[in-house]
Amino acid sequence: MQKFFSNRKLVIAIVIFIISFGLMSVSVAIRDKKSTPPLIQQFGNDVAGAVDRVIAWPVNGLQSATNSVSDLLNTYQENQKLKKQVDQLAQAKVSAQTTRAENKQLRKELKLNDSLSDYTTVTANVLTRTPSSWMNQLVISKGATAGVKKNMPVMSQSGLIGRVVEVNQTNSKVELISNTSSSANKFAIQITNSAGKTVNGIISGYDKSSNLLEMGSVTSNVKIKKGDKVVTSGLGGNTPKGLYVGKVSKVKQDDYGLASEVEITPAADLSDLTVVTVAEQ
Amino acid sequence: MSFSRLRVIFPIGLFVALFLDGSLSNVFAGHLFSYPYASVLHLTLLWLVFAVFLDDHDALPVGIWATFVGLVFDWYYTGVFGVYMVGLPLIVYLCRQIKPWLDLNFLTLLMIYIINLTILEAFTYIWYTMGHVISSSLADFAVYTLGPTIAVNLAIFVILYYPMRRLYLSVI
Repeated sequence: MQKFFSNRKLVIAIVIFIISFGLMSVSVAIRDKKSTPPLIQQFGNDVAGAVDRVIAWPVNGLQSATNSVSDLLNTYQENQKLKKQVDQLAQAKVSAQTTRAENKQLRKELKLNDSLSDYTTVTANVLTRTPSSWMNQLVISKGATAGVKKNMPVMSQSGLIGRVVEVNQTNSKVELISNTSSSANKFAIQITNSAGKTVNGIISGYDKSSNLLEMGSVTSNVKIKKGDKVVTSGLGGNTPKGLYVGKVSKVKQDDYGLASEVEITPAADLSDLTVVTVAEQ
Repeated sequence: MSFSRLRVIFPIGLFVALFLDGSLSNVFAGHLFSYPYASVLHLTLLWLVFAVFLDDHDALPVGIWATFVGLVFDWYYTGVFGVYMVGLPLIVYLCRQIKPWLDLNFLTLLMIYIINLTILEAFTYIWYTMGHVISSSLADFAVYTLGPTIAVNLAIFVILYYPMRRLYLSVI
């Protein structure tokens, strides 16, 4: 043990730490570039993903088996609840169809072809989640070959969950909106209140202890109430308009009392994800 | 002759542990990552620690495999290189250093494992903070991450200790 601080070992230790720190700095510096990841990194990820599929398959199978059992137990109550909803849904569906058709026609007359709210989707399975409290990342089972591109927004059935940060050929990494890292990309969102007025802003942070998203620096005078719906605004170019984010849970003054801060309950449950949808503009 | 079997079982188990870490984290995300607490599974580390302490001949190339599996971890899970790639072999090195001083039994190995978990979590926390990958305060780290992580992994350790010891005794 006392030989630890002999010269040779100390030098080796320092060299290793410098190499490690250098590698980390380089990968952090280049991870936001469009060409990242390089081919060799993609290849490694594809190989690891293929092996992971083999191991994840029985685990996921077990999960879906237990899910089916708990589903079966709740079937009766759920069925009754759903029956009520179905009647209302049919009506909503018809009215949405007419509105969509009308919208299309009006757009044609205005010669407005691509609007912000048009998007197509790619559905993918969640392969794995990064076992770390720092990186809230998922690996999903679709990659560049299925048309996934960097920075595309990712949704679960109920709402926005994150953004694609790394695309390989057959899988890609998704950074969840709960990521608190300073380099995380922020989503442009808008809140529509009951009077139909909108407030624009970006998701500026995530409050870990209360599981709420924050939208800071709001200086608009539009009154926002609890329960108002929050959707992506489509500004900034990467994200289509109208992806559901969540509901307003609280509006408060920020620390300096100049602007207000809106707290948003995310619609998606970030801890129960098996299938996700990548939106492609 | 029988010893060569361990040389095959060890790396396979290591990678199974690595990918199980991720799959189980996803399946049990509701329990493991119930905000604000985050308990991180460390089956890979557990496998490495068992290999260092239960293999009496010190003949397994644990350090090299630790570096490789750390590289795959960085590559596949985080995309930030150089963290687990150094952290895991560091743990193996430290374990090898203290092994001759220890009277090996269940409790000492448990203590060692707690210390290893703390070192690895602290190492990744410091490294990610220095690299501006994350911004989190030390108090948050200790309360919300380190505590639950140690609790969950100790439970796994207690469950797996005797089966693993049997495995190593039977193979050698």
